[in-house]
Amino acid sequence: MERGTMNKYAIYRMLGFTPLILAVLPCREAFALQIHGGGEGLVVHQLAHIQYFGALGYLLWDIRRSSFAGVGWRHLQRFCLLLMIWNVVAFIGHFSQMFTPEGAIDTSDGYLFALLQAPMTFGRMIFYVTALDHLICAPALFFLFLAMRSFYHSTDEKGDG
Amino acid sequence: MDGFSLLPAVILDIVGSSANIVFSFLAWRYARLLSRRQPDNFVWGYLYYVTFAIAAFAISRAVGHLVKQFLLIANLPDVWGEISAYSGGFNTLFMVSVAAVMIFYHKGVQAYEVLEHEAGKLKIANRNLGMAARELRDLNQTLEQKVEARTDELSRSERKFRHLFSASKDMVFFNDAKYRLVEMNASGAEMLGYSPEEAMNLQLEHLFAQDEDAGLYCQMLAKNGYIKDLNLEFSRKDSTVITVLLSATAIFGEGGEMLGSEVIAKDLTRVKIMMEQLAASEKMASVGQMAAGVAHEINTPLGIILGYSQLMMDEFTEGSESYQNLQVIERQTKASRKIVADLLKFSRLSGGSREEVNLNEILADVIAVTEHTLSLSHISLCFDPEKGLPAITGDPEKLRQVFVNLINNAHYAMQDMGGGELLLRTRLQDGGRPVVIEVRDTGHGIQEKDHARIFDPFFTTKPVGKGTGLGLSVSYGIVHEHGGLIEVESPVADLGQETLEGTLFRIRFPLSGHGRQEEQAEFTL
Repeated sequence: MERGTMNKYAIYRMLGFTPLILAVLPCREAFALQIHGGGEGLVVHQLAHIQYFGALGYLLWDIRRSSFAGVGWRHLQRFCLLLMIWNVVAFIGHFSQMFTPEGAIDTSDGYLFALLQAPMTFGRMIFYVTALDHLICAPALFFLFLAMRSFYHSTDEKGDG
Repeated sequence: MDGFSLLPAVILDIVGSSANIVFSFLAWRYARLLSRRQPDNFVWGYLYYVTFAIAAFAISRAVGHLVKQFLLIANLPDVWGEISAYSGGFNTLFMVSVAAVMIFYHKGVQAYEVLEHEAGKLKIANRNLGMAARELRDLNQTLEQKVEARTDELSRSERKFRHLFSASKDMVFFNDAKYRLVEMNASGAEMLGYSPEEAMNLQLEHLFAQDEDAGLYCQMLAKNGYIKDLNLEFSRKDSTVITVLLSATAIFGEGGEMLGSEVIAKDLTRVKIMMEQLAASEKMASVGQMAAGVAHEINTPLGIILGYSQLMMDEFTEGSESYQNLQVIERQTKASRKIVADLLKFSRLSGGSREEVNLNEILADVIAVTEHTLSLSHISLCFDPEKGLPAITGDPEKLRQVFVNLINNAHYAMQDMGGGELLLRTRLQDGGRPVVIEVRDTGHGIQEKDHARIFDPFFTTKPVGKGTGLGLSVSYGIVHEHGGLIEVESPVADLGQETLEGTLFRIRFPLSGHGRQEEQAEFTL
């Protein structure tokens, strides 16, 4: 109990200080010994997607390995699976954005009336599809919510987790 | 159509981002409620941190997306250009954080679970240890009470069995493997005439009156491990013999070797005497019945012989040879009738009167008749009457005959010795037959072998012609008819436990009105 409480506060502190550090040290004015160019942000982000994908895969594998039964665990597996797919979609989407030329999107009539210019190549089609990633991401989080609610109600019924 | 509208993607981005915030926060809320409900559940704790990180990531990403969409809709791409790097940075940071929490915290939880499992085992062990400690403490606390209770119980048991050993009226003793007495109760020592200290130095073989009995005892004990109801004779300190009924049990050690034995012996001497007396009494009763039958059958022809002889005497002159022969027949027939009459008295079939009788007066009458004869034989007579002796119910003539018979026997026993002393005494004692008459002489006494036969009809130690052997038999029958008892001692035990030459006849009568009842009671018993 004490250990759990200590870890929780440690994470709070860690997450709390991070924006402050980033605010006082803007990327462009950081006096680092190594030069970090603009492409570095995308690489780090993509690596984060890979790491996120691996973590979700690990969690999915662990749930299945542990043979946890019940509706809540099935929802949690669905969450992991959908979010892993989302990571793949997002990963591809970032590359697709990078390789789509600026002129491919026409915003002359305003942002809300922006058009993806023809011809619709495979790259542009990927760009368009991956731009709809919330169709995967939002259901994934919905299943996470269902899983947590199911766990909560199961403890309510049984009085035991 | 010049291209695909991106408006659906914009709308979906706004709606999806909002939904992400809502769903992630709802998930975090339930995870938070779960961890609060069951704070000790590691899985809920893990999910709480995971959902927290996901919610943080969702805010970071969704807020970034919403700001981007609204700035671009508001046609402020420059502003977005300034903050997009921060938004992307936070996105990346929170995504890494989510992954880190998901993996590393999960591993931490697993490690914690292992530790917790070990701690659980330690806890169980500790709980068991605590229970054992409590049991030990309880045991310690109650041990003293238990020891005290057990000691009391043993003490009570020891007292009980010690009392059984000490207070037993039978002989109880223990002997070791060498048949040496190691402990004997007071009754046993008294039975053998030893002091308790002397009894401790006895060897078991010294107890047996017959040498072969010691061997029999050892043999039976070694063979069976016990002896049940063995009839033996023990030798007392004064060399007299007592009859005992012995039971013994061998005591064996753990290795099966015999350590000794425990013995209980009951003194049956008195029972044996009583049995002998009972047998004698039964014998006398049967002899009496036979004598009565014989007397009855003989009495009639004797009467006829006497009658005819007296009639024939009238036919002859006195002094003639025939007359003298008839006189011999008459005299001998009368003698035979007297014998028959005595037999009838012995068998109680003869008639008689019943009245209140003072035995002191009866004895005085008898003394008056016999005193002169006794003095001629240098026998001094001493009469010691009990004053106020109660009367008994009986036939005075028959009672006189009893005492005359006893005095005659005493006279005969002492006259060969040139005189002696005859003591007559009456006294009153407690018991069912309180009136006691003692006739004691200082003659040659009765031999041991004759004790059982002296009351038999026709038994006599006198020379032929000196006695019929019916005197004591008749006396026995009369005393018995009066509900009394007749006992004999020869030699006579003095008060100082010394024995004196001579014979003592002791007659006990019941008080007036009790004789027949007592007799009936005795018969019933």
